Amino acid sequence: MDRELISLKLTTLRHTAPGMRPAGWVIGSLLAAATWAAAFVAGGDDARHSILTLGLLFWGLGAAIGPVLMSGAGTLRPSWFALLPIPRRALGRGLLVSVYVSIAAALVLVALLAVSLHAALLDPVTLVVAIPGALLTWVFVIALSRLVYGLLGAAMGSRIGIEIASIQFGLMFAGMFAGWIPVSIAIQRTPDLLATGITDPAVTSGLDMSPTSWSVLAVERAARGDWGGALLLLGALALCAGAAIVAAVPLLVPSTSPRTRRRRGRRRSAGLVAGAGLLPRTQTGAVISKELRQWSRDGWRMVEVQSAVWGGVFIGALALTSEDLRVIAAFSGLFVAFMLGIAACTMYGQDGSAVWLDVVGQDETSVRADVRGRQWGAVLVFLPKVLVVTALFVVLSQAWWAVPILLAALPALFGAASGAAVLVAAVGVSPGVDPRQRVGPNDAVGNISLHVWVVILLISVAVAPTAGMVALLAMSPSAWLAALTAVVGLANGFGAAWLLGRITIGYLTARLPDLFSRIRYGQVFRDPATSGALDWFESATLKGEQEAKARQQKERADRVAKSSAR
Amino acid sequence: MTPEPSTPNSAPPGGAVPALELAGLRREFADKVAVDSIDLRVPPGSFFGLVGPNGAGKTTALSMAVGLLRPSAGRALVHGVDVWSDPIEAKRLLGVLPDGLALPERLTGGELLTFWGRFRRLPTQTVADRTAELLRILELEEAEALGTLVGEYSTGMRKKIGLATALLHSPRLLVLDEPYEAVDPVSARVLTAILRRFTDAGGSVIISSHVMSLVEQLCDRVAIIARGQVLADGTLDEVRGGGSLEDRFVELVGTTDLAEEDLAWIGS
Repeated sequence: MDRELISLKLTTLRHTAPGMRPAGWVIGSLLAAATWAAAFVAGGDDARHSILTLGLLFWGLGAAIGPVLMSGAGTLRPSWFALLPIPRRALGRGLLVSVYVSIAAALVLVALLAVSLHAALLDPVTLVVAIPGALLTWVFVIALSRLVYGLLGAAMGSRIGIEIASIQFGLMFAGMFAGWIPVSIAIQRTPDLLATGITDPAVTSGLDMSPTSWSVLAVERAARGDWGGALLLLGALALCAGAAIVAAVPLLVPSTSPRTRRRRGRRRSAGLVAGAGLLPRTQTGAVISKELRQWSRDGWRMVEVQSAVWGGVFIGALALTSEDLRVIAAFSGLFVAFMLGIAACTMYGQDGSAVWLDVVGQDETSVRADVRGRQWGAVLVFLPKVLVVTALFVVLSQAWWAVPILLAALPALFGAASGAAVLVAAVGVSPGVDPRQRVGPNDAVGNISLHVWVVILLISVAVAPTAGMVALLAMSPSAWLAALTAVVGLANGFGAAWLLGRITIGYLTARLPDLFSRIRYGQVFRDPATSGALDWFESATLKGEQEAKARQQKERADRVAKSSAR
Repeated sequence: MTPEPSTPNSAPPGGAVPALELAGLRREFADKVAVDSIDLRVPPGSFFGLVGPNGAGKTTALSMAVGLLRPSAGRALVHGVDVWSDPIEAKRLLGVLPDGLALPERLTGGELLTFWGRFRRLPTQTVADRTAELLRILELEEAEALGTLVGEYSTGMRKKIGLATALLHSPRLLVLDEPYEAVDPVSARVLTAILRRFTDAGGSVIISSHVMSLVEQLCDRVAIIARGQVLADGTLDEVRGGGSLEDRFVELVGTTDLAEEDLAWIGS
């Protein structure tokens, strides 16, 4: 049974495009090598202890939460086996075993085995403790990864899963935009860490409490001759691994309870939704209200919003760690507002084939209502979150002088982002998996790398007037100039949102069926026009999607040909 | 099998403008011709059935007829209004239930209908009244009370809420792709009653289906379509020619015979 499942997993991996996996393997290999190298160059036993306990904790955390983001191809899904007459325990065990057979899991093991270097340097005899210790830690963290994934309800099935996925994306964004801050601090401090280790005893004992540190502690005890203590620690590690396995197996087998969660609580009577509410009872009001509900209930859209919020929070937090750069924290909210542009630039693709409603419901004003409603919906979803993040970090950084700049920059950025997002979403619609078939956190959209750059470019150009005023204000600060800058920022925001929205309306009025065709059929049934920037972007994104699809088909065909040749 | 020539189109009663007219409608996907220059006329007030095997081109033809898919050639006219040159006027007259497409999945049925009514610019009270009535008649009230989202609906419930969106603005022509698929028998009766009332009031319905008995029971006019071509078209009696619709369908479309030795292992 276990062999068949491992074989099925490897076959599944062979038949899917490698995507980002090779890049992940390279990064993982470099990190594993760095773990070994850091342990090797450590200034002494204590320093090596610190480096290993800290490093292994990071490896444990990475292994535990990594699969939330990597839940796509290659993972055997329990539902595939629901109808097979296999005992659930055997199936759960087989599915768990199959998780250990992967390059990512092998890299984790290589990194965890760095403890054997510690053992070899302390006393080579303790390798008999280090190697089983590393293996037990490996069994523990990989089982933990399945446990975490299972508890998240396939990551996207629960609010907590969405939040954890968002935190990871937020960390990634913060790393991209402000990662240089901790890196510069780390570079300043690393020689100390490598030379002396962590000198704060509270941090050291805290790290020692993590099961990922126990193999290190066991080696040290054995080196001191306390073999009983070493065995006790290995036993405790084995217990943790066993507990993680026992807890993970039931979560891996197919669930017999319904997947859907009923929304209980507030009664949603037709009268209430039809007649009440703060939004105008107009065509645009209808779209705003639909969009607000989608943003607040669709897990994939929630991840977009929350990732932006967490990204802003982490950027602010990173900035606060540096004495020289803490004033940057005051502008964390701007990042969240900017991320509206990235998050919403897939809104038509997120709707998937539901865009048919826009096509068959088209009237003289419907396209305008749809575009404006989507813009307002995105702004209303992001606005309270941006205000909270901004207020929090202005207070924490005490950078009160930033307030006039924020008063101008926030509306300008909101307007530009909402306009750029809707334009890019319509012209470069990037459909992912259709709404009902989505499972993983990355299912909602296709390849949007070009979209992100276009949004960044459009926003940068669109906020130029406000940026100019802010520069002027910085050079010659005065109260009236601050007020003028705020007015310009507000006008700039409304102007950018109006203009970019207007271009979108013009585009969609003529090409609404083509928007649907791109989602439903992956092509446009119209003679390609290549006269302007919109046509260029439309055909470039369409070509990108078609080429990616063709490449995947070719890779699949090549793999099938290779398999047949064997 | 050699396809028989199509039965000549019967002129619509009284020479009235057809509720739906497809003239030379054609669509290719790469090298494959999905719909091969078909001509169809749905007279006003009729209950028209479009039948054909899987992949025959029914959904493609209907998608072009309602403005969802650009044709390579030909025209689609709704009550004389060209869907592709005057889409706004044509879509005002149309109610559409597509097959297998998503809906705003995170709305409840009531929220979806309310959104749709407002989007169609119906008066607020009309939207509220029609939403409540449709949810009650289509037995979706309980799901609404529980706050069940459309994404959590069963296939049959999705068909029903889809039909409600098609009906909400009181169109003159309903184009329904597989409306009875996965709908339970009780709801199917309700559905039939609704559609009958619609045609009695002068509206026209075109449905696609694989189920011959259903089409035979409901429709007064039928077209058989296969490999993108109309093989027969006319009143139900004209098309079935004295036999059953299924016999006529098999005769025109062909069948895969099961030889004695095929699948001999079944039940062994």
